[in-house]
Amino acid sequence: MIKKTEYPRYITDTKTTQKIDLLAWKAANIRYSYILGFFVFVLFIVIAYLIAIVSSPELAIFYIAIAMFLAIGQNIVAYWFGDDIALKVAKARPANKDEERYLVNITEAISFGTGLPMPKIYVMDSALPNAFATGRNPKHSAIAVSTGLLELLDRQELEGVIAHEMSHIKNYDILFLTMLAATVGALVIMRDLFMRSLRYGSRRSNKSDKGQIEAVVYLILIVLLILSPILGSLLHLAVSRRREYLADATAVYITRNPDGLISALEKLANFKDTSNEPINDGIRHLYFADPKSFRRQIKGAFATHPPIEERIARLKSI
Amino acid sequence: MLPLFIILGIGVGIVLVLISVYNKIIRLENRVDNAWGQIDVQLKKRNDLIPNLVETVKGYASHEKGIFEDLAKSRQAMMNAKGKEESVGAANMMQGALGRLFAIAENYPDLKASENFSVLQEELSSIENKIAYSRQFYNDAVLQYNNAIETFPGAAFAGPMNKKEQVYLEIPETERQAPKVSF
Repeated sequence: MIKKTEYPRYITDTKTTQKIDLLAWKAANIRYSYILGFFVFVLFIVIAYLIAIVSSPELAIFYIAIAMFLAIGQNIVAYWFGDDIALKVAKARPANKDEERYLVNITEAISFGTGLPMPKIYVMDSALPNAFATGRNPKHSAIAVSTGLLELLDRQELEGVIAHEMSHIKNYDILFLTMLAATVGALVIMRDLFMRSLRYGSRRSNKSDKGQIEAVVYLILIVLLILSPILGSLLHLAVSRRREYLADATAVYITRNPDGLISALEKLANFKDTSNEPINDGIRHLYFADPKSFRRQIKGAFATHPPIEERIARLKSI
Repeated sequence: MLPLFIILGIGVGIVLVLISVYNKIIRLENRVDNAWGQIDVQLKKRNDLIPNLVETVKGYASHEKGIFEDLAKSRQAMMNAKGKEESVGAANMMQGALGRLFAIAENYPDLKASENFSVLQEELSSIENKIAYSRQFYNDAVLQYNNAIETFPGAAFAGPMNKKEQVYLEIPETERQAPKVSF
């Protein structure tokens, strides 16, 4: 049997029957990443300016200069080291060529099928069955798989999951998602620092002349700082579910067989997490399946992934 | 002056289009070659593992002579193969022989339990899997290449560039089923 199925440029969303152009999708991911970098830049400047108004308006230029410098630094770190940070946060270690030979072999085979370079393979010592891909482009990419997933899945199922992760690499989802994780992470740290300093600082200054303006500015500042991480994750959520469906569909084209992925998803749907392993919110959206879904159902705007059942249903209709 | 510029502009435009079509054909051809290289590496790797495998199996099932002969024959064919089609023919032969060998191994629990054998089995199954995926990629590359040289404007280039249609690699029906290796 000769397979003449060309790797498709378009994938049809089986539910909305909408055609998705994979090249345009990739371009969009790169564009989103630029927009994100610009968003960080503007946000830092606005915050610096607000801080300057409150504390010392004559130093505003100086504050803004520092903010620009920090924003550029933040973007550089997010772009070049976002993958390292994500892997570190997930406590992933490089795969052992002897012990995890099986995983390395499967990934190599899938990378042959896509024509992409072989990503670096990492293993997370965790009972929660999961996997994620990160990096900035196919040449600098990594796939991390948990030991729980390796135990739960057979070869064909694992192939499906790796192909799904490989699709994220191919479509440049990894670039945007990793930069988003790094950005949201930095904003969360900033918010926490700010909240702490605010609590500490409010005990001292209590002059009432400039108080009203100050209070308003503080309020804007707090709202901005509290909202920005939430905004960041909502921005991501708006596109993430289609991203997962798309990666599922692309994975089927890579493996030319939906059964492995379907059966992997079925096993994950039935998996009940009895451990008490901490789940890091910052990288939740990177995972193959939402780690929190193993504990309780998360629905609506805050679900990082479409329900597994829905993903299975869509795969079956391909 | 203006008409001259227009003619010049059109001329430059045509040259640019010609260059891009030429480059596209070369790029797609390189992709086919690379894809084949990927398959070839795996075929050679597998060939190198065969003596080791035969040695290991002989330690437990020395009387299964037929299968050793089959393997030796296919290995020889592989080494003598010239061109893609002969290589693939030999590779399919070897794959069949390996399939039979692993079926025979089921009857020898000691062999199956040996670590050496299970490492070899994993290596060989994964090579088979890699070959399957590489072939798939190869066929995709050939399809794109063939489309490029058969349709306009590439078709006009194919003759002067001496580019011919490339053949697809047959994929045996059973091959795409993932090899069953349990751990």
